[in-house]
Amino acid sequence: MTILPEVLRIVLWGTVAILFVSVNALFLVWMERKVSARIQLRQGPLHVGFQGLLQTLADAVKLISKELVFPNQADKYLYALAPMAVFAPVICAFIILPVGRDLIIRDLNIGFLLVFSLTNIGFIGIFIAGWSSNNKYALLGSMRAVAQNISYEIPLLLSTMVIVMAAGTLKLSEIVLAQSKGWFITSQITHPVAFVIFLCSALAEANRAPFDIPEAESELVAGFHTEYSGMRFALFFLGEYTAIFISSTIGASLFLGGWQGPWMPGVFWLLLKTYAIVFVIMWIRWTFPRLRSDQLMAFAWKILIPFAIVNIFITALVLQFQKVLL
Amino acid sequence: MPIAAEKNIKNWFLETLKPDEFAEKDPKKTGISFEAIIPQNKIRDAAKEYLAQDYFLESLTAVDFAECFEVVYHFSKWNALDRSCVKILVTKEENKTPSISSIYKSANWFEREVYDLFGIQFIDHPNLKRILLPESAEIFPLLKSFKGEPAGSDVTQSMKLIGEDAEGFEITYPKSVTEHNKDYYLNLGPQHPSTHGVLRVLLHLSGERVLDGEPIIGYSHRHHEKMMEIQNYLACWPNMGRLDYVGAMSYNFGYAVAIEKAMGITPPPRVEYIRVLTTELNRIASHLLWMGTFLLDLGAFTPFFYCFDDREKILDMLEMVTGERLTYNYFRFGGLDKDIPAEMIPLVKQFMPEFKKRLRDYDALITKNVIFRHRTNGLGLLTRESALSYGVTGPCLRGSGISFDLRRHEPYSIYPELDFNIPTRTEGDVFARYWVRTKEMEESLKIITQVIEKIPAGEVTLGKLPKNVPKGEYYSAVEAARGSFGIYLVSDGTLNPYRIKLRTPSFSNLNSIIDMLPGCLVSDVIAVLGSIDIVLPEIDR
Repeated sequence: MTILPEVLRIVLWGTVAILFVSVNALFLVWMERKVSARIQLRQGPLHVGFQGLLQTLADAVKLISKELVFPNQADKYLYALAPMAVFAPVICAFIILPVGRDLIIRDLNIGFLLVFSLTNIGFIGIFIAGWSSNNKYALLGSMRAVAQNISYEIPLLLSTMVIVMAAGTLKLSEIVLAQSKGWFITSQITHPVAFVIFLCSALAEANRAPFDIPEAESELVAGFHTEYSGMRFALFFLGEYTAIFISSTIGASLFLGGWQGPWMPGVFWLLLKTYAIVFVIMWIRWTFPRLRSDQLMAFAWKILIPFAIVNIFITALVLQFQKVLL
Repeated sequence: MPIAAEKNIKNWFLETLKPDEFAEKDPKKTGISFEAIIPQNKIRDAAKEYLAQDYFLESLTAVDFAECFEVVYHFSKWNALDRSCVKILVTKEENKTPSISSIYKSANWFEREVYDLFGIQFIDHPNLKRILLPESAEIFPLLKSFKGEPAGSDVTQSMKLIGEDAEGFEITYPKSVTEHNKDYYLNLGPQHPSTHGVLRVLLHLSGERVLDGEPIIGYSHRHHEKMMEIQNYLACWPNMGRLDYVGAMSYNFGYAVAIEKAMGITPPPRVEYIRVLTTELNRIASHLLWMGTFLLDLGAFTPFFYCFDDREKILDMLEMVTGERLTYNYFRFGGLDKDIPAEMIPLVKQFMPEFKKRLRDYDALITKNVIFRHRTNGLGLLTRESALSYGVTGPCLRGSGISFDLRRHEPYSIYPELDFNIPTRTEGDVFARYWVRTKEMEESLKIITQVIEKIPAGEVTLGKLPKNVPKGEYYSAVEAARGSFGIYLVSDGTLNPYRIKLRTPSFSNLNSIIDMLPGCLVSDVIAVLGSIDIVLPEIDR
């Protein structure tokens, strides 16, 4: 057991992950602005760099140079901790994402569970942010965020459980490999349903419209991050976009065959599929109005969860029959 | 039903109430059928009788005469054309009169406004405090003795008022917020993305559920009424564009109709057609702006841009005509500032089919959207009775099942010759108000089509007119994009109006929100607020 290479490995991968997260968030923000502009009869950013590609970089520089405003009544330590508590777990989630054949930082045998847990811890950060700001809008936003998170965690896990049953493993790399003969989204009748439930829950988990009630700007000004400015605000922003990216990557890995595909290296295929899902998420955001908080809860508990449970039962039956017949 | 059995407010006045003075008036000229001066103690009886006979309180104001105050009530019937004026005299020493706010809900804010601007006390008013001016103000600006001396308007005084108003934020909490109760107060505004200007709504919440809420207004008060009193009639035109900057053409129309009625002149036919054309275009623009921002309130971004795209085309056309994009100052007494340019009509013709297609798009994108329907159906219920009691007018009233549109109800200009419908819905919820406005855009298109076909050639001015309005009192109202815009004008025959009361629709419409808020969630508050379509400068005046 050599310690030095292991440390080097951690440092190297950590740097790569953080670099990728930053560049990816910049790209996603640009993409969001372009997609929304196209949907809304606009041009979007044009002037900084090719097609405005560097616009988000300029914005990031501006955010970094801004003053970190500190509300008088805020809880000092928690207030400073919250953005980090949101951002750190989503970075950790990169550890277990399979980006290619054998291209995975740590191939844990409970990777599937860990990735969901990590994307979830961020909500504690959101609650801390709302609580410590000592602002009613922020508190309302974080209350909504917690309620929403608890509710949507259940259908998210239940819907993906179908894939685990089909693949027979919790290891993400093996789940991807199990799709070498065909993507899971088409392999069984229950999987498309699971994918839709997964997509809805992922939208809600990432606070994206039409489920963006924790930061509904027309109601709660900016929700839980009302009081945040400068780089702290940017961290929330980075965290949100990275969470979307990770949700989409998981979606691509579980349902769309992950990094598998002909001709190109696996990384490209994974990115392609991920960005396709991200595009759908953006498309949805710019089309629909926002749900109300009670309707949001009703949607999770009365529609998504029953469907997800029934879905599991049907999958179990189908799998059992296949075993008996074959 | 025989006429004798029909209850008639005039007979009731003459036979039962026995007013001190009673005068029949010509509705064509003064806008009212009769005027009665009654003793103070009979006003509550009169108000009850008016309420029983399907009248709503259209306007309540006061006039400062040298000897005494006149408190003037205008009651209007919603199911037939009849408006009458009741006055009570209040001596300057006594300065008190009974309140009718327990009979008409709309009187609550009207009386507060009169108290605010004249200092007249209303006995038994539940909440008699300043409404337009800050609570700490010591001036009564509409008194003729108030000349806007430095004491009331210099910088130090203003700074003092601003400072005291800031303290007012703490003072107005009915309970201390430091207590650990389940309920708490939330100030929605004055700086908030969805209050459409500087409106503050004090919400009393339990969790996210609203227990009650009260709009607090006056942040953009500029006192147009006093401004107009110290200007001559012609100089008042720019004030009209700045009341409701979203649908300013209707306010031009309102002022034009008011003064022309009073002067007894009729503008040339081409003028009337151009007026209707520009007003209806402006109405569509106003509804489009409302639709975009309302959907933005509900969290849908994209329709905002579509609506503004269409609105931009209308604004371009109106800019071509008036030279202004927002605060139009285009109409003149008996005419217009200038004729429309020749290239405008083809532009309108080109715009109409495009916009019809767009309306279908909106229908598919918004009206049929499941989330939108769930958010708006059954929300913010405004019953017929409540709407009438609050004096709500415009699309909000028509969404509550009352087909009241002044273009048909009290026809002015060329509206009687035009063919259009009044879209009405009975639910009285947010969706009904949305639906009424979208249909109104279609009706406006219909009007524009007819106007363009029929528009005659001719002069657009009557030439030189007298600069003053004959002595007398006049009331006139037109249908603006948000409801009925009334002008009560007292003229003493000089070059300036003696008193002008601007009865703006959003003022009463916003008042009605007090009934709609309890039981809503915070998200619903925004939707309800959006659905009544308020423009703050028009409320604060």
